[in-house]
This record gives sequence, structure tokens and C-alpha cells, in this order.
Amino acid sequence: MPFGLLIKLALRNLRRQMRRSILTAAAMIIGLALLVFSLALAEGSHQDWIKGGSRMASGHITIQAPDFLRTKKIRHHLDVSQTESVRRMLEDTTLTDIIEAASPRLTILGLANSPANALPVLVLGVDHRIEPFFSQLNEKVVEGRYLEEGDRLQAFVGKTLAERLRLDIGSRFVLTAQDASGEMAGQLMRVVGIFSLGLPSADQGMIHIPITTAQSWLGLEESVTSFDILLESTEAEEVAMATLGALEETDGVDVIGWRESLPELNSAVAMDNFGNYIFHGILFAIITLAIVNTVLMSVLQRVREFGVLRALGLRRREAGMMVFFEGMLLTVLSGGIGITLGIGLTWGLFRNGLDFTALMDTDFSAAGTIISPIIVPQFTAGQIIAAVLSIVTIGALSSIYPAYRATKIDVAESMKFET
Amino acid sequence: MSDKTIAVKTENLWKTYEHDGIEVHAVRDVSLTINSGEFVALAGPSGSGKTTLLNLIGTLTRSTQGKVWIAGRDVTNEPEGVLARLRLQSIGFVFQAYNLLPILTAAENAELSLLLQGMDPAERRQRVLDLFGRIGLNGLEDRKPNKLSGGQQQRVAVARAVVGEPAMVLADEPTANLDSHASDELLDVMEELNRDLGVTFVFATHDPRLMERAHRIVHIVDGAVASDEVKTVQNA
Ligand SMILES: Nc1ncnc2c1ncn2[C@@H]1O[C@H](COP(=O)(O)OP(=O)(O)OP(=O)(O)O)[C@@H](O)[C@H]1O
Ligand SMILES: [Mg+2]
Repeated sequence: MPFGLLIKLALRNLRRQMRRSILTAAAMIIGLALLVFSLALAEGSHQDWIKGGSRMASGHITIQAPDFLRTKKIRHHLDVSQTESVRRMLEDTTLTDIIEAASPRLTILGLANSPANALPVLVLGVDHRIEPFFSQLNEKVVEGRYLEEGDRLQAFVGKTLAERLRLDIGSRFVLTAQDASGEMAGQLMRVVGIFSLGLPSADQGMIHIPITTAQSWLGLEESVTSFDILLESTEAEEVAMATLGALEETDGVDVIGWRESLPELNSAVAMDNFGNYIFHGILFAIITLAIVNTVLMSVLQRVREFGVLRALGLRRREAGMMVFFEGMLLTVLSGGIGITLGIGLTWGLFRNGLDFTALMDTDFSAAGTIISPIIVPQFTAGQIIAAVLSIVTIGALSSIYPAYRATKIDVAESMKFET
Repeated sequence: MSDKTIAVKTENLWKTYEHDGIEVHAVRDVSLTINSGEFVALAGPSGSGKTTLLNLIGTLTRSTQGKVWIAGRDVTNEPEGVLARLRLQSIGFVFQAYNLLPILTAAENAELSLLLQGMDPAERRQRVLDLFGRIGLNGLEDRKPNKLSGGQQQRVAVARAVVGEPAMVLADEPTANLDSHASDELLDVMEELNRDLGVTFVFATHDPRLMERAHRIVHIVDGAVASDEVKTVQNA
């Protein structure tokens, strides 16, 4: 059977049942548009979570000495030569284009002692010139100021922590932690600023101090415990990982992606994806049933026509192909429109983000990240491929049974059917 | 007559259906030879087995017993796909209810078997136009079936059946849905195609007008051939 004839018959048959075709197409169009929209929204919010989470923690990628991730012990730091290698690598132009900020840090688990209290804290020795682009803690000042050039003993302290230690601006307190050789070492600090992030773990236990102060406190010279890297976009992760990965070979460092360094965030994304799969699965099942119904009805109403065609010399297989093609054509055309519409509407209406502020009373945090109430939909090639694949799958699934029924039509019997 | 080619031949053909354990012999031991160029009526009362015999000859139904040859070829045990091909090339069908495809125009319906064969469009169109001219359908090429009278639709169906120059055309009660005027017109057309182009026609009918104009009448009673009469007097 020539392909041209197949197309002609399929198109005319769809047109003959215009109303039914349009109704079915509408289900498909709305379904696919919804799919594209929800995928873009999910991608947008995931990217937001990932970026937000990475920003608050060790970035999309963190470069550390082996074992540091597990032990958090200062003695597992990057030595001077490793630190140098990483610095050089970060000047690579493929990286500078995709990196938003690369922050050398000394991450210290220690104890903060004030006359009022002693509490466990996470002390970050940071470069005050880079942090505003990374953690952006300088924007969260509630009292005093962030670290500045020339600071030595100044500390930037979480609000809840300051309250519990009864510290004000200018108050002194002592940090103690194990140094590089495993000895306990103390460091006197003075509160220069207090921040409130809205993220309880940070507000209750995080302190930023100048990295040079941290290095001399713990006897580390130029060394750091990690280079934390925040990418412009989560999508650049693969390229960045590939480039930085070379350091594992040459310098024996660990290059760790956010999935590993932020396992809670990774499972939050996975959970959300799982929820979406279920939602999309139900959506697909409904659409598929609608299309099966349409295509099957059109076969059952044309039993006699198929009989005539078979009498004229159409093979069983070709009758099946006709139906399959018709179902596919309906699905692919309407699905294509659905995808286009989905992209168009999502981009046209929500390119600047969907504001969910009304649904969330305050800053909402989960899995160690502050979730922004404004979600900017993101499109990726993967989503479009997924959408196209789902069209083809829906088309095939919904056409196969009606096509099979068409191959089973008995010519002599079909002639007895009333038209 | 031995030099004539045989359009279809059956040998001890049986078709038996079962109804609640009771066997119904719709076709009973039919041995029949129809030559190319014949204009034959299969006549008989309702339920006598005309349609069943026609379906057997047309390879739409398989026999319970016996053999069928079409254009000299034993098709009894050919697989379905081969039979479909054979029908496309060698057998034309005309049905009582016209059975044109409503989505195609008159000309497209007529050229359907050529379309299925993948014939070149220009040649296809020319054949259909010639045929339409011959059978009085000039100017109706682009009409959809629902804009044609019953008689016109049945003539389109005849065009569809003969356009591929088949070995024979099988017509099951082709005039049953037509008034006498339209019936006569249709018979004129078929007779002319038979006379001028040598198209072989086999009808199942109980329409006396049709029987009157057939050149040979095979009477079927209870699935068996009761008489086979060739009319000797024919107007040229
Ligand atoms: N598919 C079938 N299953 C069972 N019995 C059948 C089937 N087709 C035909 N028959 C029986 O075979 C016999 C012959 O039927 P057939 O349709 O060939 O008769 P016919 O001569 O064409 O009748 P009519 O003039 O009414 O069209 C009838 O008794 C009919 O009931
Ligand atoms: Mg009949």
C-alpha cells in the first residue's frame, strides 16, 4: 500500500469525524501542554532548590581531600600544592564561563564558648571578597556588618546562636577546635555582625571568620579544606565535573558533586520527580484511554468499509497499518501542537516566574535549602525528548489494539453489517 | 469452446456452517466453470447460497471441501496475503449496497484498486476518465458518494470493479437497491463493458430483469446447482 494513500485515507478519515477528532486532539493537546508546563516548572524549581541548597552549603561541586567529606577532620585538608593546582585549574576558561563563584574555605567543626554558654558550631573560614557572590550572607545582616578587608578577629554569627550565647556586636567569645596536628586549639573572636537566614541550621550554628585567621588558628598556612564551586546553572554541572575531574588523577583530590555532598537535597529532588512520574502516568493513562476509545470506535464504525477494502485487495496487515497510522497521525499532530503550545504558553506567560507567595506564608525551607516562592520554569532538551517520546508511546499504545481489531475483520461477515 | 480461457472453476465445492450443532450446507458439491467473457447469473431464492458461492469464488471465504481455480491457478490453499494480492489483480467486486468509501470522491473510489497497486497518477486518472465517459459518469468525478444517486453510485462501483482489468467481476445483487430505470441503466453499462471490453461478469440475483439479460443462468437451490442454462439467442 503506497504511503501517499495511507496518509490520504488517514487524514480524510480524521476529517470525516471532525468533532470526535477535535475532542480527542484537545485531550492530547491539553495533556501535552500540561506535561511540558509541569516538566518545566519541576525543572525550574529543582534548579532553584539545587542552586539554593548548593549556595547555602558546599556548592554544586566541592573539591576536597579524600576522607574530609566523611570525617570533617581538619587534618584531611588540601595541602599547599593541591590548593595551588586547584587555583590554577579554576582559571581555565571553560570553567570561568560557567562558574558563578569558587570559594576557598576552611570548614571547621568546633565549639563556641561565651560566659553564658558553650555550643557546637560550624565555623567557615572564608574569603570575604568571594562570599558575597556565593553564600550571599552579607545580604542577611540584621545587626553590624559582614566581614571586610583588614578583619582579623571579627566573626559573623547566626542570630539564634548569638542569642543563645548572649552575644552582641563587639562581644568576645572563644572558638575551640582540633588543629591540623589533632591538638585542641582556641581562638578569641569578636562579634562584628549578626545574620538571619531563615534556615534554622545556619542561624543556630554557623559562623563566618576570615580564612587567614582560621589558617593561623589551626596551623594550616595556605591550605584550605575545600574549594566550593557554585555554577551559573545546574546544567553546567556535567562539563564542570568533567574538567575538574582531571584533578582527581593529577592531584589526588576528591571532586564531589552536589548529589553526593548534599544527599538530602538529592533525595528531595528524586522524591519530587517520583511524584511527578505518578502524576504524568495518570495523565497519560487517561489520554491513552481517550484515544483508544476514539480509534477503536472509528474502526468499529467502519467494519464494512474495511471489508470492502479487503475485498478489493487490501491485506490484513495493511488494514491494521491504516488504523495504526490514523491513530499515530492524530496523536502526533495533536501532541506536537500540545508541546508547542506548552512551550509557548509557559514561556509567554511565566518566563519571569510563577509567584507562589500567596501559598507560602513565610520563607519556606526544606532539605537544607530555602525554597523561593517564585518558580521560573526551565526548559531542557531532555524534557522535550521526554515529551516527544511520550507522544509516540501514547500513539503506539492507543493504536495497537484498534489496529489489531482491524486486522481481524472477516470480509464476508463485514458485508452483513448495516451501514 | 476449448480455446477460451477459464475465468474461474470450482470442483466439488462445499461450504458447511454449523448452527447449534446442526450442519447447514450453504454450498453443496458445486462444480462450475465460467469462461472469460461470460455474463452469468447465479439465480436462486433467498438463502439458497448465492452469496456464499460468490464469496468462495471471490476468495473471501474458504471452502469446507473442494477446490477453486482462478484464471487457471489453484487458490484453494493459498495464504490470505496471496489471496489479497490476487483479488487486487484479478477480481472485481460490486456489492448490493454500493459500498463506496464516503471519504473519497467518485473518481478516487473508482481508482482505488489502481491506487492500491501503486499505479502512476496520470495513467490512473486517464483510465478512470475513459471509464467514466463510457458509463455515463462524465463530470461526476469529483463528487462525494453522498452527492450521487443510487444508480450513479452503483456505476461508480462497477467502474471500481473493472478499472484494474480483472479476470472477472463478481456482483452480489447489484440491482437490488435500484429502481427499474436505474437497474436498466446499470445493466446496459455492464452489458456494454462485457461486449466491448470482454469483462467477465458473475451476478448473484433474484431479479428477473437481470436474469433475462444474462447470457447464462445457473440456478442454485439449497446450495447446489439445479440447472445451468446457456442462452443461445443473443442480440449482438
Ligand atoms: N456466516 C454464516 N454462518 C452461518 N450460516 C451462514 C453464514 N452465511 C450464510 N449462512 C447460511 O447459508 C445459507 C446460504 O446463505 P447465503 O447468504 O449464501 O444465501 P443467498 O442465496 O445469498 O440469500 P439471499 O438471496 O437472501 O442473499 C443460509 O441458510 C444462511 O443462513
Ligand atoms: Mg445473498
